[in-house]
Amino acid sequence: MSEPSEHGATAASSLPAAVPGDHVHSSLTKLTSGGAATGSRGEMGEALLEVRGLQKHFPLTQGIVFKRTVGHVRAVDGVDLTLRRGETVGLVGESGCGKSTVSKLIVALERPTAGSIFFKGKDVARMGGRALKEYRREVQIIFQDPYASLNPRMTVGDIVAEGWSVHSDVAPKKGRLKRTQELLDRVGLNPDYVNRYPHQFSGGQRQRIGIARALALQPEVIVCDEPVSALDVSVQAQVVNLLEDLQDELGLSYLFIAHDLSVVRHISDRVAVMYLGSIVEEGTAEEVYSAPSHPYTQALLSSVPLHEPHLRGQKDRILLQGDVPSPADPPSGCRFRTRCWKAQDVCATDPPALVDRGQGHPSACHFAEARTVVPVDAE
Amino acid sequence: MTRPDLSKATAPVPADGRPVLEVDDLHVEFRTRSGVVHAVNGVSYSLTQGETLAILGESGSGKSVSAQAIMGILDSPPAVITGGGIWFEGTDLLTQPEEEQRKVRGPGISMIFQDALSSLNPVYSVGFQIGEMFRAHRGMSKKDARKRAIELMDRVRIPAAARRVDDFPHQFSGGMRQRVMIAMAIALDPRILIADEPTTALDVTVQAQVMDLLKDLQAETGMGLILITHDLGVVNEVADNVAVMYAGEIVERGTVDDVFTRPAHPYTDGLMSSVPQVEAKGGRLQPIVGQPPNLARIPSGCPFHPRCSRRRLGAEAAPGRECSTDVPPLRLVVPGREAACHYSEEVLGVRAQ
Repeated sequence: MSEPSEHGATAASSLPAAVPGDHVHSSLTKLTSGGAATGSRGEMGEALLEVRGLQKHFPLTQGIVFKRTVGHVRAVDGVDLTLRRGETVGLVGESGCGKSTVSKLIVALERPTAGSIFFKGKDVARMGGRALKEYRREVQIIFQDPYASLNPRMTVGDIVAEGWSVHSDVAPKKGRLKRTQELLDRVGLNPDYVNRYPHQFSGGQRQRIGIARALALQPEVIVCDEPVSALDVSVQAQVVNLLEDLQDELGLSYLFIAHDLSVVRHISDRVAVMYLGSIVEEGTAEEVYSAPSHPYTQALLSSVPLHEPHLRGQKDRILLQGDVPSPADPPSGCRFRTRCWKAQDVCATDPPALVDRGQGHPSACHFAEARTVVPVDAE
Repeated sequence: MTRPDLSKATAPVPADGRPVLEVDDLHVEFRTRSGVVHAVNGVSYSLTQGETLAILGESGSGKSVSAQAIMGILDSPPAVITGGGIWFEGTDLLTQPEEEQRKVRGPGISMIFQDALSSLNPVYSVGFQIGEMFRAHRGMSKKDARKRAIELMDRVRIPAAARRVDDFPHQFSGGMRQRVMIAMAIALDPRILIADEPTTALDVTVQAQVMDLLKDLQAETGMGLILITHDLGVVNEVADNVAVMYAGEIVERGTVDDVFTRPAHPYTDGLMSSVPQVEAKGGRLQPIVGQPPNLARIPSGCPFHPRCSRRRLGAEAAPGRECSTDVPPLRLVVPGREAACHYSEEVLGVRAQ
């Protein structure tokens, strides 16, 4: 993971350009960076969040009174990730690959079994009390389901302002209503709606409320766990654009978790592909989509239907056989070997490391070889 | 609601035959306590043998309701079919008594749903449920039906079918469950298969497997396939023709190649540019502003006009083509293509005919 932070830099250079709604912007920058200018929060491209060898094993138990542990579901089994300031890292994978568990570990909703998460160089596992509280303010999360993640008995204003009752130093008591309204305005909701309840909003609007709630605590990192998958296609784009605008304005970093490969390509600077609890390939969005080198990434990308009629039938379709093995009993060696057409004896014994084997970016395959599976749209 | 006669579908009809299914000016509404919801407002389409017609639309566009009307599985009340006809092989199903409809639909039209787990009965083995088709419609014995169930499971490529026939739905993965549903649906060799978001709940690699299976089965049996989806990519890869629905109406219809290359309706156009593609990073997304309409309060005139970037209101509009008052009919814009927009020629970039 020794990429130069090229993408962090491009994000920085585009920062002053795209600022719609200037009056809102100025007050909000102040709002979300606690009085200090965004620049003083640190250099763009500096590693904010580093995940090393992260594991989470859930015990499988039997028995009602005396619970015996009969095994472990290895939901996350050795994940390395780096999130730099101002960039978006996309984490893709199919259901059950452990990507949502990674998000829960990062926002400290679950404790890792092994491995560590470093935030600005400090180990989150060793944080306690005040430091952990501060970490939880800095790293916010947006959930997939905008229907389940908002309390139906609270007004929108209360939902957005709720974090301030824990982190009271973020917003002084006096101006809270005004700040809530500014936040609602910024995410594209009518500020007069503060006293409405979640059921009065559509799915896209509720997701905006979730975003406003995350922004209220002036975070540096937002973990977006499938933020647009529950939304209609025409509304998805509105939310994606909002997330991009907020990033440009506030210098946020996103860990964008999704199964929709098209959305991930669109929004991410770097992409990590997950399979059965570990990362199989990592690189810039361009590298991973144009020259995937892990067989799983190739199969995944080749399954995505294309939108352009003239490209139809131009890609090699790689159809995978069988289903994903159970994470309670993963295959030895390479996790993907049971479905891989390149598998050889070495794959069953040696787990491949996530390193660059000459294909230009890290890939966890002994026989990594870049190959184009998604035809390039010339138009 | 005055609508032009749309029964003469312009979707390319192969010379060899009449359409198997014709939906003609179908109207469905839901009468609820809080008002009448107009879910389907004059939808017409037709399907020939071997054709794949995609019905593309967002949630609440009426795409599923129109399919449920064909299958006769609308909950009524509250749903009421207020007009139109559903012609299957020359008979109007809606004029037949219910028992007759069942006899026609059973072997003739079948349907698969998005959520395979809730569509299968959890307390019966999958073999029993597939075999039920043969017992109910063909009067087969339990033993023969089970044998046929195994054959079908083989046909939908469920590995080790003979061993898994007595398994229960929860023992199968999502993709395999969807195959079980497909097996049930094709059991009686239907002329038409309606697939309502068949792969929405599945991962992309499994989605590709299931779509491949559907295509292969269609090539074998020559059945017509109605594919209801919101996924532009799936439509592009699988369908021949596409009907785009918005607010309970078809707003554009044509071959997939034509519609996807050059949309003629602003909604289709907006949909295309609001969705990121896997084949290109692309620039900023161009979302359609606003929300899909509430079907209890569909906007006057063109239902899309409040969200449309090309709308012409008041004095700007050509006479009789004011977007907020005049309902645009679904009309032929260029050969093989229909759109319900007053200004489709502009969207397409061709001169008005």
